[in-house]
Amino acid sequence: MKSGELLRKVLLASAISAALYAAPLMAAVNDQDIANDATTTNDVVSYGLGLQGQRFSPLDKLNTETVKNLIPAFVLSYGDEKQRGQEAQPLVHNGKIFVTASYSRVFAVDAKTGEELWQYDHRLPDGILPCCDVVNRGGALYDNLFIFSTLDAQLVALEQDTGKVVWKEKMEDYKAGYSNTAAPIIVNGKVITGVSGGEFGIVGKVEARDAKTGKLVWMRPTVEGHMGTLDGKDNGITGETNKSWPGDLWKTGGAATWLGGTYDAETNSLFFGTGNPAPWNSHLRPGDNLYSSSILAINPDDGKIKWHYQWTPHDGWDFDGVNEFVSFDLKQADGKVIKAGGHADRNGFFYVLDRTNGQLISASPFVNKITWAKGIDLKTGRPEYDDTNRPGAPSAADKGQSVFSAPSFLGGKNWMPMAYNPNTDLFYVPANEWGMDIWNEPISYKKGAAYLGAGFTIKPLNEDYIGALRAIDPKTGKVAWEAKNKAPLWGGVLTTAGNLVFTGTPEGYLKAFDAKTGNELWKFQTGSGVVGCPITWEQDGEQFVAVPSGWGGAVPLWGGEVAKSVKHLNQGGSLWVFKLPKAPS
Amino acid sequence: MRPFLVFVLSSLLSPWVWADEPDPLNSPQWEFVHQRFLKGEPYQFDGKVKVEAPPDAEDSLNVPVSFQVEGLDSVQEIVVVADLNPLPQVLRFRPKVMRPNLGFRMKLQQGSPIHVAAKTADGLWHVGGVWVNAAGGGCTLPSVGTSSGDWTKTLGKVSANVWQRPDGSNRLRVRLMHPMDTGLASGIPTFHIENLKVLSQDDQVLAELDLFEPLSENPMLSFDVAKQTEFKLEGRDNNGNRIQAEVGR
Repeated sequence: MKSGELLRKVLLASAISAALYAAPLMAAVNDQDIANDATTTNDVVSYGLGLQGQRFSPLDKLNTETVKNLIPAFVLSYGDEKQRGQEAQPLVHNGKIFVTASYSRVFAVDAKTGEELWQYDHRLPDGILPCCDVVNRGGALYDNLFIFSTLDAQLVALEQDTGKVVWKEKMEDYKAGYSNTAAPIIVNGKVITGVSGGEFGIVGKVEARDAKTGKLVWMRPTVEGHMGTLDGKDNGITGETNKSWPGDLWKTGGAATWLGGTYDAETNSLFFGTGNPAPWNSHLRPGDNLYSSSILAINPDDGKIKWHYQWTPHDGWDFDGVNEFVSFDLKQADGKVIKAGGHADRNGFFYVLDRTNGQLISASPFVNKITWAKGIDLKTGRPEYDDTNRPGAPSAADKGQSVFSAPSFLGGKNWMPMAYNPNTDLFYVPANEWGMDIWNEPISYKKGAAYLGAGFTIKPLNEDYIGALRAIDPKTGKVAWEAKNKAPLWGGVLTTAGNLVFTGTPEGYLKAFDAKTGNELWKFQTGSGVVGCPITWEQDGEQFVAVPSGWGGAVPLWGGEVAKSVKHLNQGGSLWVFKLPKAPS
Repeated sequence: MRPFLVFVLSSLLSPWVWADEPDPLNSPQWEFVHQRFLKGEPYQFDGKVKVEAPPDAEDSLNVPVSFQVEGLDSVQEIVVVADLNPLPQVLRFRPKVMRPNLGFRMKLQQGSPIHVAAKTADGLWHVGGVWVNAAGGGCTLPSVGTSSGDWTKTLGKVSANVWQRPDGSNRLRVRLMHPMDTGLASGIPTFHIENLKVLSQDDQVLAELDLFEPLSENPMLSFDVAKQTEFKLEGRDNNGNRIQAEVGR
């Protein structure tokens, strides 16, 4: 007994000394670093520059006056033949830049020299089933790990210094249509992820794992009727079986959480958007089809759903609902501040919700043409559908009545994250103006096969532009300014306290705009389309900006008549890093 | 006895003397191999480390190699290096409670010395070797599994057999299904088994191995075990895919 006690004391003592010893040496990322990411300027340790996803940096050395002096610092080529869409947001920590690339690759770069430190090429099977290009949107940093998800639905944790695999977990069966492209987020030591595969009749879910080991903590399906888990035990069914889904269709109901999510510490809520219900043909599944095309507020501790709001009940246009939900303070005229969240949906409406309870505050069109609904009823929170604009039911052999619908399923805004600037109080939304002919076709579920039951052709609405970066006032829903772009916008947005807005264009430019007026102040040609997410940080007293370049994503695959404005764009694959040099003294 | 004396004397006089001992195979890379894979530690060429391989490789993708270390006590670790391969290191083997013998197949990019170095508890590397001629190209070709796309169906699968040797002890041969891509074939990233443990039924570690790119596709490994007939295998590749199997007679 005595020796047991002694042993315990020795263990305790050694644990304490280990902790003391390790502290000054550690460059490890901890929960505090992640919680403070939005306000610390010398690193970027989370997707969204802070888990709320505002993509706002308090840095102001680079501003409307100085941005003209922004120059390239270095560029890293991803090399290889795998030059496809580069949609990632880089991360910066401990003198290293980490960025993911097409085909589930990761690069670590010396932040001072641009020299590659290591590269990890995930081995992908031939049979992967990504719907919309072989992209990856980024990783998460925690402890000494860089964690990212792969096209064959695995979650991989690499050592930040070497790129060696520390742990790897299979999230789902890629042969059934699951894949993964979103950046994970870390909340209180848990790595939180979604899944892709809504075009293949998978079932969406959100998962939380121990970030250090990969061990599953909880899982929450996003289609009603499916059982969630917590610590390996059943943790209640999502929703109520068959309440808003007929028959067995909920078993292959889609609602993929393919864009990941955000987190708000003030309400301790994860916000995960869900994708389209499967199949696209809505006549097969009468009802609201919960929780497809919705936002879910989830308790990060146990995976329980706190509230939900459905952007497009009974979605028949693949409007999806995964676009990011960005927490912000809505300042009202009477001086009251509401804990709100902003969301620009593929269906063309910009929503403001009360993020404590999911109540709708406002819903305003942010694109010029919306055909599927006349508006969103603020009392009921539901769309006022135009029933003539729902594509018709197919007969046993023939396709159904085709309709022209705007926006197209590529969305008034797609995955590319918007930014919110608390100084200007504006959201900066990378919007697109396009519609589609859409019709339904007979379909039945087959594992690993596309499960759409629809056909479509995308059409631009204007001759001279598709893309429009729009500044939206969340108090009024009004567009404060817009900057048009010929090709559709497909890259993320960054805004700063220097009164700047950064975003990329498929034509290859990274551009900087005046956040108040929308005047274009600076641009740089990167050599291929910019569909990645820009970041900024401070290093040795200088402000840096980084963005991946490499044209791709869903547009060249599904864009239909949009091809006219994008078919000449060349592929690439590189990380561009810019800096504002110190003023000569 | 004599080599040992020489060792003691020269270690007292000047530790760099061993670096000058000429390689019986006359490898142009020997000093590099010594520095990089033996960390420049003391060594001697020693006939007790016997390496067998065909003088000419019929198939550069599958060159059979085996080694036996006889008459050396407490072998800590054995390193196999093909000096002229673009990726020279083939494997590291820590035999623990197994005999320090191993058979395997490897890829050769060109004719090369194959050195096997066994480190004893006194810190001295005992080095043997053999020269294999090869037409070449073994390391820059895509694996069969990768070019056919079949590798996903069998990845990490293990088959094995156990035989009784004439002296009553057993031989264990395992085959691990894995493409073992070197990363040198265009467009195909490095993908290989990184480590493997052979355990007894009651989880005693019998041997540990670090495996590298030059080991042949679907590696076949032959171990000289004691009387055991049932084994566990645990390992991992550089993507974190796990190998876990129980094998036996």
